[in-house]
Amino acid sequence: MLTLLDQLDKGTLWRSHGGIHPPEVKFLSNGTPIAKLPLAKTYLVPVPQVGENCTLAVKVGDTVLKGTPLTQGNSIWHLPVHAPTSGTIVAIEPRVSNHASALPVNTCVIEADGKDTWCELVPNELDSLSHQQIIDKIHHSGVAGMGGAAFPSHIKLNPASEIDLVIINGVECEPYISSDDRLMREYSQNILAGIGIIYRLLTPKRIVIAIEDNKPEAIKAMQVAVAQSALPAGSVRVTVIPTKYPSGGEKQLIQIITGREVPSGAIPAKLGIVVHNVGTAFAIYQAVVQGKPLVERVVTVTGKNVGKPGNYWIPIGTPVAHVLAETEFKPDPEQKIIIGGPMMGHALANIHVPILKGTNCVLVPSNQEIDTTPDEKACIRCGECANVCPALLLPQQLFWHAKAEEYDKAATFNLKDCIECGCCSYVCPSDIPLVEYYRIAKSALKQAADEKQQAERAKQRFEARLARLEEEKLAREAKAREAAERRQATMTGTDKNAVAEAMARIAAKKAAVQASDNTANVVTTAELKDAPQGKAAVAAAIARAKAKKAAAANAEDSDTSNVVTVKVSDAPSSPTGAISQDEPLSQKDKVAAAIARAKAKKAAQQTDKAQLETTDTADTADNASELTAADDKKAKVAAAVARAKAKKAAQQAETKTEDSLSQTTTTEAESTSYTLGEVNADAAIDDAEAIKKAKVAAAVARAKAKKAAQAVLTTAEPNTASKVEVEPELESVEDSQTQSSLALPSAKETVDSVATGSLADVQSAKPTSEPIETASLSSDELKKARIAATIAKAKAKKAAQEAHASSDSSVND
Amino acid sequence: MSTILIAVILLTLLALVFGVLLGFAALKFKVEGNPIVDELEAILPQTQCGQCGYPGCRPYAQAIANGDKVNKCPPGGTATMEKLADLMGVEPEPLNAEAQSQVKKVAFIREDECIGCTKCIQACPVDAIIGAGKLMHTVLTTDCTGCDLCVEPCPVDCIDMLPVTQNLKNWNWRLNAIPVTLLQETGDKETMLEEDKRC
Repeated sequence: MLTLLDQLDKGTLWRSHGGIHPPEVKFLSNGTPIAKLPLAKTYLVPVPQVGENCTLAVKVGDTVLKGTPLTQGNSIWHLPVHAPTSGTIVAIEPRVSNHASALPVNTCVIEADGKDTWCELVPNELDSLSHQQIIDKIHHSGVAGMGGAAFPSHIKLNPASEIDLVIINGVECEPYISSDDRLMREYSQNILAGIGIIYRLLTPKRIVIAIEDNKPEAIKAMQVAVAQSALPAGSVRVTVIPTKYPSGGEKQLIQIITGREVPSGAIPAKLGIVVHNVGTAFAIYQAVVQGKPLVERVVTVTGKNVGKPGNYWIPIGTPVAHVLAETEFKPDPEQKIIIGGPMMGHALANIHVPILKGTNCVLVPSNQEIDTTPDEKACIRCGECANVCPALLLPQQLFWHAKAEEYDKAATFNLKDCIECGCCSYVCPSDIPLVEYYRIAKSALKQAADEKQQAERAKQRFEARLARLEEEKLAREAKAREAAERRQATMTGTDKNAVAEAMARIAAKKAAVQASDNTANVVTTAELKDAPQGKAAVAAAIARAKAKKAAAANAEDSDTSNVVTVKVSDAPSSPTGAISQDEPLSQKDKVAAAIARAKAKKAAQQTDKAQLETTDTADTADNASELTAADDKKAKVAAAVARAKAKKAAQQAETKTEDSLSQTTTTEAESTSYTLGEVNADAAIDDAEAIKKAKVAAAVARAKAKKAAQAVLTTAEPNTASKVEVEPELESVEDSQTQSSLALPSAKETVDSVATGSLADVQSAKPTSEPIETASLSSDELKKARIAATIAKAKAKKAAQEAHASSDSSVND
Repeated sequence: MSTILIAVILLTLLALVFGVLLGFAALKFKVEGNPIVDELEAILPQTQCGQCGYPGCRPYAQAIANGDKVNKCPPGGTATMEKLADLMGVEPEPLNAEAQSQVKKVAFIREDECIGCTKCIQACPVDAIIGAGKLMHTVLTTDCTGCDLCVEPCPVDCIDMLPVTQNLKNWNWRLNAIPVTLLQETGDKETMLEEDKRC
């Protein structure tokens, strides 16, 4: 039993199934040596030509030399494209492709400068290079399979599995093509050098150069070259195989040489076999030894309609139109131009397409050579197609399903193993273009497979998204729960107290509002008990207010503020005499004066514009205070004016700030002034009633003061404007209190004290309590007044505490 | 008498044994879910577009398994409907949605107009839109299923559904059977140029 290697050495051949013997027309082109064509004006280089996406290495306007790489990429599948000649890049745009679809592809248009200058080439000494360096050189030279498929050669030269046998394919079974034939005849030594490189890289047990027996010159040339080569004797041999189409197919050739069949869907490397074209071997030699990138190839230009048929070195990217023009092309009516051989090639839709790395033939047949497509007739089930099929398929069955568009069923008959050789179409007595049907079915199946794959990916992505959303939702919920727990944990006793206090304040506010409503009614019938006394008190109060405002007016000047203070201290003295009140009152006045001073001081620190406006009104009020001293009536008028001014100031302040506080103060000021007006209108009622009402008024005043204090508190950072608002309001309150009754000064003091409470002066609440006692006449009223006083005290205290609590309420800075 | 008794006892015992066996088998070989749902789902195009009225392809597959109609999937087209009908053993019905073109489309965001509102990102069932708030968004065309769901929420209407451009990879041999250019006269360049223009 002979081993496979023995049989290889003996030249044993096996029979591959099917195949045809179409008429040979190689004589048209194989008689003349490989020539060169004149340079074209423009070259169209599709980028990328082979492999996946890449980056352009050039831009429009760049000058390139012959061999300059146009693309760059990191992927192992990327195969660089090089400039086929020297010139300028005039455009990089989609151009019609050299493909059956003629769809536009991105193309680099190079305008040749006519010099055809090479870039710097680095010849290499083969022995000094490592395997990886050799493969890199082949990769970077852009060497692709020259047989037609243009598969990147560096991948085939770096296989994962052990390679036992390398077959160099010089079969060239297509009936018209002779490019490999001529190449083997003229460059056999170089091809052998290329084979030597392949031998070094793959170290196979045998290298078989397979050539059909219709190329005797090429066989002879290759045998001579093998005999002269430095490769180990017996490792390389030339095997002559009988002429039959399609023996040049990779799988068919392997079967003929080794008798082994490449499994469906597998690559030959699985059997330890690699097949390379002779053209590829030559390109490898050029790339590695000469350092030349793959920029030109041998192309057979043939057919009866070409004046100068033959083989030509044509730069990759040369437009087919240029090739035809240079070879004296004479088109027939309905002329077909075929790229590739007559059996497997495709007709061009446009002749302004480039020659590519895999373009081995441009066929321009006359109408006598190749029939115009005859009409398709019905399949007669003769079975000829099955006899000639080299892939052992059942072509008529495939045709049946493909025609019925039952592509799934066609797939079950191994449609994917069809090599589209065209034998079945060739022999079909009904002229059915079977291969067309298979191509349609194949592309439909491919599309279905792509869609299925995409559906699968969409499903995965959809599920991933759902999972992500679910995860996010859970995370959110967990976070919310955690936050709630934390809140509950930190809700200590003090927080609860704060809530309770807030609730109490709200309740108090409500009560105050109710009380003020009541007082509004009561005070309408109220009467001033003692006009002179009241007037004096009014004068005193107004004087205080004026002093305050005057101090504010002369804010910058400390001297004047001192003077004002003196004025203020003077002012209380005259009312004291007039009312003939005892010490408590004077004490109270002193307190008031002190407050006034404090306020003046505070006002002096404020340099706001709004503040200045307010102080202007205060000035006019000050002038009015002098009139008050002169005449009672006028005093009332002045008081009214002052109130109006205060109100106006409050309103102005309100417009300046959008604080809610400003609004409440304005309404308060308004309501107080209204009450005052009512008081002025009425004038007759007895003492007891007056006192009662005074107390009510005092309660109202307290409530308001408290409210004001709260307002101050609620403003976390009381600005100057809000301070200004508070003051006029308080003053207007003061006015109203002093006019309603004698007991009111105490109320006024409460107001003041609370205001000062916000000014952090809590002590002023104490003196306030005394005036209430002195003011009340009967013992019963006294008792009630005391209760009221204690309540006021407590409230003042509370307000002060609140003022302290809110660290930001530094109104008295 | 004893023979009858023996027969009865024997049969009872047999019944018990088989009952236990069946009960055990029912627990041991229990099939979770309806396996036909997976098969149905494999047929559906997985665009997750919701045009069937269900929130995704699997819910619709479940609905079909529970007796819903098979003609509610416009992206799948007639081919999908026929496969579903075949699998379910029901009569094929014409699609109830208006016949939409079978041309596959993908979303395209006019990036100048995008305001970066992220609404389309939230709408996309397959996470095929990338972008961040107030930054331009864009569509991953390879992952876009053409379900249209992002068009509606866009506040500035900057999303177009464009048909997938043909390239050499997805070219369908039949769709573009390009007629061969016919050249008229010998070497006449002008004629050739005219022919080219016609292409």
